[in-house]
Amino acid sequence: MGIIRMLEGNEAAAWGAKLARAEVVPAYPITPQTELISTIASFIANGEMKAQYIKVEGEHTAMAAAIGASAAGARVFTASASQGIVFMEEALWMPPGMRLPIVMCMVNRAMAPIGGLRPDHNDSLLQRDTGWIQFYCENSQEILDTVIQAYKVGEDKRVYLPVAVCYDGYFASATATPTSIPDQKEVDDYLPPYKHEMYNLMPGEFRTIRGFPQNIAKARYEVQKATEKAKGVIEEVDKSYGEIFGRYYDGALEEYACDGIEAVFMTMGSMTGTARDVIDEIQAEGKKVGLIKMRCFRPFPTEELRKLAKKYKVIGIVDRNTSYGSASGSGIVAMEVARALYSLDDRPLLLNFHVGLGGSDVTMRQIRYIADKVLDAYQTGKAEDETDWVELKDLGEVM
Amino acid sequence: MSQIVRAFQPEVDQNTCIKCGNCQTYCPEGTVMLTEEGVVFDYRYCKGCGVCANECPVKAIKMRREE
Amino acid sequence: MEVNKLFDEYYEKSLFQGGSTCCPGCGGPMFWRMALEAIGSNSIIYGDGPCAGCAIRNIKLPTFGIHFSFAADGATGIVAALNAKGRNDVTVISAAGDGATGDISFGKISAAAERNENMIQICIDNEAYMNTGIQKSGLTPYGAWTTTTPQGKEAPKKRIPMIIAQHRVPYVATISVAYPRDLKAKITKAKSISGFKYLHTVMPCPTGWRFDPAKSVEVVRLGVETWAWPLYEVENGVLRLTLKPKQRPIEDYLKAQARFRHLNKEQIDYVQQEVNNERQRLLDFDGKSVIT
Ligand code: SF4
Ligand code: SF4
Ligand code: SF4
Repeated sequence: MGIIRMLEGNEAAAWGAKLARAEVVPAYPITPQTELISTIASFIANGEMKAQYIKVEGEHTAMAAAIGASAAGARVFTASASQGIVFMEEALWMPPGMRLPIVMCMVNRAMAPIGGLRPDHNDSLLQRDTGWIQFYCENSQEILDTVIQAYKVGEDKRVYLPVAVCYDGYFASATATPTSIPDQKEVDDYLPPYKHEMYNLMPGEFRTIRGFPQNIAKARYEVQKATEKAKGVIEEVDKSYGEIFGRYYDGALEEYACDGIEAVFMTMGSMTGTARDVIDEIQAEGKKVGLIKMRCFRPFPTEELRKLAKKYKVIGIVDRNTSYGSASGSGIVAMEVARALYSLDDRPLLLNFHVGLGGSDVTMRQIRYIADKVLDAYQTGKAEDETDWVELKDLGEVM
Repeated sequence: MSQIVRAFQPEVDQNTCIKCGNCQTYCPEGTVMLTEEGVVFDYRYCKGCGVCANECPVKAIKMRREE
Repeated sequence: MEVNKLFDEYYEKSLFQGGSTCCPGCGGPMFWRMALEAIGSNSIIYGDGPCAGCAIRNIKLPTFGIHFSFAADGATGIVAALNAKGRNDVTVISAAGDGATGDISFGKISAAAERNENMIQICIDNEAYMNTGIQKSGLTPYGAWTTTTPQGKEAPKKRIPMIIAQHRVPYVATISVAYPRDLKAKITKAKSISGFKYLHTVMPCPTGWRFDPAKSVEVVRLGVETWAWPLYEVENGVLRLTLKPKQRPIEDYLKAQARFRHLNKEQIDYVQQEVNNERQRLLDFDGKSVIT
């Protein structure tokens, strides 16, 4: 039986790493990730956690040390944010190709120069092509659970891929919510010690997958196949985790209050909490709009989305990111959704919204506006092609 | 195994050789060996760089143009 | 085929497989053949050097590398994993070329030194980016021709060993493939010390330095004899010259390599003066602490 405590998102992530018995933690501080690594440092200092904490001189080295340690057989945890994630970008390409199941928290924060210390998703979404699995979490409980699940998924030999657990700085990282902390013994039973079947750097037992592949396309396809397999493994892990710890996250996509509904919008990260409240309110007012939470962005849940899309006439995609000069000025998630649904004969109308850029609050008023726009499109059967910059609209009093 | 293309290959005059071992020490590839019967070369891997000949104190190794 | 069998048996035992893809006369395989005898089989080699790891591929030990912008960092992770597993019997060697050590990964090596990571960091220095086709690095010496310094490099070579020594690490040493006994003794010593050990070898590159491959050892020996590359060690801050050869004029070293061919008398005199000053400094500090 676990205990319940008020934990901030960063503390919850640290608990996840501790419960997963991460053995090596190379990390470099950056706001808003710092409370995470200082919590781990204090776990280690007071003997609660047995890990090698490497106080590296920069994020590039943090990921490089993570790679070395993971290949040498240690379970590795690290975390970064924003400029830090992008500074380690060169290194981030390595673990997927090397098939190293490192787990890293990406505590979302806007990129310079147009953004402060608060979150949007450009920092982690920029890594979408590297081969990392990406989860986006809503609150402390989900963060803690997802860190443990991340090891279970990444270390599965059908997968062997690194996993990013992303959550919004401040809104998730520094907001304390009641969090059930699983029992260590149960986590130990659930997550056996890390052992990589392709790697062994120990003298006399040496095994590696390094070497320049003869057929590059084939080698890349191996990684692609692993990400595809990860989808099934994520579903499995969500189930097996739920059976033991009692919490389910519906795999990659969660439908919220969608029964009998044909118009929905889709969110990612901490704004989902706000969106749930708005949905409750407007449905009480008789407006028939539902919510989809995208929990897993990589691998992209194409089949799951197609299945859901059949039920919906309109999907509004809420993008907390910008991709300057993109198709239709679209956000990153919307572009992916459009590609996934394009081949359907009977595809829903798509709308796209930018909110919360550079870490500004996503207000209930804005979410209401989005819901109304989705409903409009549903009623008129027409959707604007251009992306709607919600924050530039005068929506009256902030609620 | 790939075939080495070499302009020159080393040859030793066993009578001049004083068995000092320099050639073996400095050969980059480990393709020359001092044995009880004298110096021998592994022509399968020798690159014909000539380091062994250059480091021989009594000039017992000659680099001969390969046909 | 008696001889082939003899060699096959030797390769079987040796930690370095003959037949590397390096150029004839390259100091890389030469260095590793010598070094591995001292490094021993209970070791993990991280990194590359020289020249995109052409020689590393022939090492028959666990090797692991990422890219040359990743010096010392992955080895830090390997050391941490070994600590986590309680395997303190394994030697971790972290190798890098001059471009990594002096330029792109300079901060990484400095940081690993500051953390006193338990590894032997080795710089295998061919004094330019050779793999990409001979471009200047921070460790290219004054006056040397490269494709990006067609008229000769204007700045002097960074003195990395002394910079690392100022990190107050337990052991720093310079080595040369022309002095295999000294080279092996220093590696053996480094292995016996815990913490961060730094070794630096200038190694001959006939292709980039432009000389006859047969002269490989001769050229780097000249480097030591002219005091262009003096051999010393710094143990717990105390400097000891491990070889004090009778000084030969620097011109002997410069003239042996076509990369210095264009130097005029004035420039050669300048190099001589620099070498003289450095030699005097080293002699003054011999047996004393260099920590400032
Ligand atoms: S020519 Fe070069 S490679 Fe061949 S044996 Fe002599 S030193 Fe070795
Ligand atoms: S270097 Fe010359 S003298 Fe010495 S062993 Fe080799 S061939 Fe003989
Ligand atoms: S270019 Fe120089 S360092 Fe590179 S393999 Fe050739 S000789 Fe060796």
